[in-house]
Amino acid sequence: MTARSLFVPTTLFLLATFLIGPFLIIVAASFSAGETLSFPPQGFSLQWILKVFTVESFRASFAMSMFLAIGGTAAALVLGIPASYALSRYRLPGAEIIRTIVSAPIIVPGIIVGLSLLRYVVVPFGVGITLALFLAHTALILPYAVRVVSASLDNLRSDIEEAAVLLGSSRLGAFFRVVMPNIKGGILSAFILGFVTSFNQVPVSLFLSGPGVRTLPIDMMAYMEIVFDPSVAALSSLLAFLSIGIVFAAERFLGFSRYV
Amino acid sequence: MFQNRAEAFALALPAAIFAAAVFIVPVLILLSDGFRSLDGGWTLAAYGEFFSSPLNQAVFLRTLKLGALVTVVSAVIGYAAAFSIVSLSPAAKGRMTGLVVLPLMISPVARTYAWIVILGRTGIVNQAFQVLGLSEAPLRILFSETAIFIGLLQLFLPLMIISLISALENMPKDAVPAARVLGANWFQVFWKVILPLTKEGLVIGGTLVFTGCLTAYITPAILGGSKVLMLETLMYQQVAVSNNFVAASVIACILIVMSFAANLLLKRVATARNTQRKAAR
Amino acid sequence: MSDQSYLSLEKLTLAYGDSVAVADLDLSVRRGELIALLGPSGCGKTTTMRAIAGLLPVKSGNVILDGEDMTRTAPNKRAVGLVFQSYALFPHLSVYENVAFGLRLKGMKGAELDSKVQSGIASVGLAKFADRKPAELSGGQQQRVALARSMVMEPKVLLLDEPLSNLDARLRLEMRTELQRVQRETGVTMIFVTHDQAEALSLADRIVVMKNGAIEQIGTPEDIYNRPTSSFVADFVGFENIFALEGGGLKTDNGSVPLSVAPGLEAPSAAGLAWRPRMVTLGTGPFRGTVRGTSFAGHSREYLLDSALGPIKAEVDASEPVHVSGSDLSFDLPVHKAAQLSRIA
Repeated sequence: MTARSLFVPTTLFLLATFLIGPFLIIVAASFSAGETLSFPPQGFSLQWILKVFTVESFRASFAMSMFLAIGGTAAALVLGIPASYALSRYRLPGAEIIRTIVSAPIIVPGIIVGLSLLRYVVVPFGVGITLALFLAHTALILPYAVRVVSASLDNLRSDIEEAAVLLGSSRLGAFFRVVMPNIKGGILSAFILGFVTSFNQVPVSLFLSGPGVRTLPIDMMAYMEIVFDPSVAALSSLLAFLSIGIVFAAERFLGFSRYV
Repeated sequence: MFQNRAEAFALALPAAIFAAAVFIVPVLILLSDGFRSLDGGWTLAAYGEFFSSPLNQAVFLRTLKLGALVTVVSAVIGYAAAFSIVSLSPAAKGRMTGLVVLPLMISPVARTYAWIVILGRTGIVNQAFQVLGLSEAPLRILFSETAIFIGLLQLFLPLMIISLISALENMPKDAVPAARVLGANWFQVFWKVILPLTKEGLVIGGTLVFTGCLTAYITPAILGGSKVLMLETLMYQQVAVSNNFVAASVIACILIVMSFAANLLLKRVATARNTQRKAAR
Repeated sequence: MSDQSYLSLEKLTLAYGDSVAVADLDLSVRRGELIALLGPSGCGKTTTMRAIAGLLPVKSGNVILDGEDMTRTAPNKRAVGLVFQSYALFPHLSVYENVAFGLRLKGMKGAELDSKVQSGIASVGLAKFADRKPAELSGGQQQRVALARSMVMEPKVLLLDEPLSNLDARLRLEMRTELQRVQRETGVTMIFVTHDQAEALSLADRIVVMKNGAIEQIGTPEDIYNRPTSSFVADFVGFENIFALEGGGLKTDNGSVPLSVAPGLEAPSAAGLAWRPRMVTLGTGPFRGTVRGTSFAGHSREYLLDSALGPIKAEVDASEPVHVSGSDLSFDLPVHKAAQLSRIA
């Protein structure tokens, strides 16, 4: 073997170890029978995996995170689909400004979004924390929704709408009859991307937590500061498999990566 | 292209108004707070005060240093990795690219948490060191710049690799063989041919990694603890511990200016590339 | 309402934003006529077609169809069909559902719908492909689906955007025959847009030549081909030797060259004259030229001459004696064969 033929496999092996190794260690640690987080795991048990489901705060924050990820993504799509449509199909004065406004949340660090919402919306207007979280997550997902939906609209010829109208459909009807069915994949991909982004999001939600109202990742961070048992590892593994599962299914059935 | 402007505005405005109300206006107010004096005038005093504190200076420099370091190291590893991946058969390339993308789907909390197990006092690294007799007492790796560096590198390396893979794939196929035939050695090939041809990919990947590091919260929070701060964790402390909203506004402004500058650079490179492509046609 | 003006465009002015694309256009189309809108890109032909369909709002003027003012009627209420250049088939629907689309919107159901759709698909020879998606069809087949989709709606006017330009030579002939058949069998009024003069000449009853947003000439294919009235049309249909008349002679860069008019014929009073290369006689005549280039084209031979008139293109039977490059010879531009132009661009 020459130096060159060794280079590729060695590089790839080290890369895979560095990128995936830590995650595999977490998975292994979550099956530990010991009381503290350690590797190699002490014995084998399912106790930590099972414990995750019994921790009350995990259950509540999981529900909150699910609500934000699903509700926030849905709201972002309700706002984002018409906006993407306007940006892609109309000669719109100020289109660049509108595009910049709706995609700005992607550039500004999440912690700033959370803090300014807290200071200037939640406190002065007496908005509830849950609603504030919902607004923040919607704003955060909006840029992704617009980007992915715009991309699939741009890939669709606009004359099919004209054809539908000439065959007797109204403009709105044409949108639902011939545009929606053809950007379905893009919308679903935007949904998944938005869901994963929202679910894993920490900085935006940092300041937006109150008694009993917390997102799951923040709850996990709080828990690991106090308790050093493998339950956070177990929860992390479960969540990782959940999101990997969703993304894999999306790739398999939708060709997710075409849209992102 | 439809002509009706009223229709277009009706479709686009709800999203724009929402983003403006929930996001742009509150952020602008927050930023303006840092320029306000007690009597209501405009002043840069808060910035002077912020930068006069040695702690803040250290955090600011540490953030820049870690951002730069992670960006440079990820570029070096990124080229080696992207090269190796591009040289694979299509099927293997797809699988390897998937493996690089996979960590991006996993919660950063979980990804960072793993390093506690690895770098902690009883973690794998310390176990290994002791078994090998390299150190007597367990090393304190956690809650240090080193730990944050490792965590950030692992978090953002995939972004660099993906950018470089697409840059390498868009490179003219014959460029490298042509340079070799003309007598260039591998070092020269990289420096004179590959680097200039993949510059945009490097800049895009670099911007993503650098802004990522700049605005990272989870990694310094978990791996840096309460002592080794970066700008975002400092900002959190200023609000949650000290209730110092002016300092928070100053940090917010620094973060936004830096990430806007990086994104502007990114956009410039992207536009330049588009114009070049159009010119080539 | 008369059959003479089944569709009329009256003083039609169309604009994109502030830039006027078509100005003050008047056109009358008879019922059952097959009209070609012919012109180079940017001449306003597609814009005019989109305005007839209602896809582009009219700035001023009127669109009258079948005695009804359609100027402000929404496109979905016009009974105008359009076969798009890209065909614009709905990618998520089968051939059957594409053709059924408009009928379903009309509220048609069950056996009536099915028989109409089936016969529509069968009429374009695609009965076997009813369940296929558009992406699984060839370009020619997709166009037939688009044609059937429009025709089952029994439109008053069928518009076609560059119907032959995306097809290869063999399919072109097939589609041309197909369109003529559809027109003969249904008697539908057809207007198609093209930039290809051969396409317009072979297919249309009348040709409307457009330039810069206005009509340059309207006429039968014979009129347009043999009797262009302007230098623009003459050039477009292959008259390569075009001259303005000045003081009874042909205007050139170096002043006027007198015309020799055969005895018994009147000197032309037109603004200009134009000759096809075929009309130029070589070997005799009042003009002298030098052969600059020659090429063999099977049944004929083409020459490029340098003369006091400027460059002249000539085409003669291949059986005639060959003039080599560089040789001097006399030639004639017979006035009685020339097209008389009333406008010189």
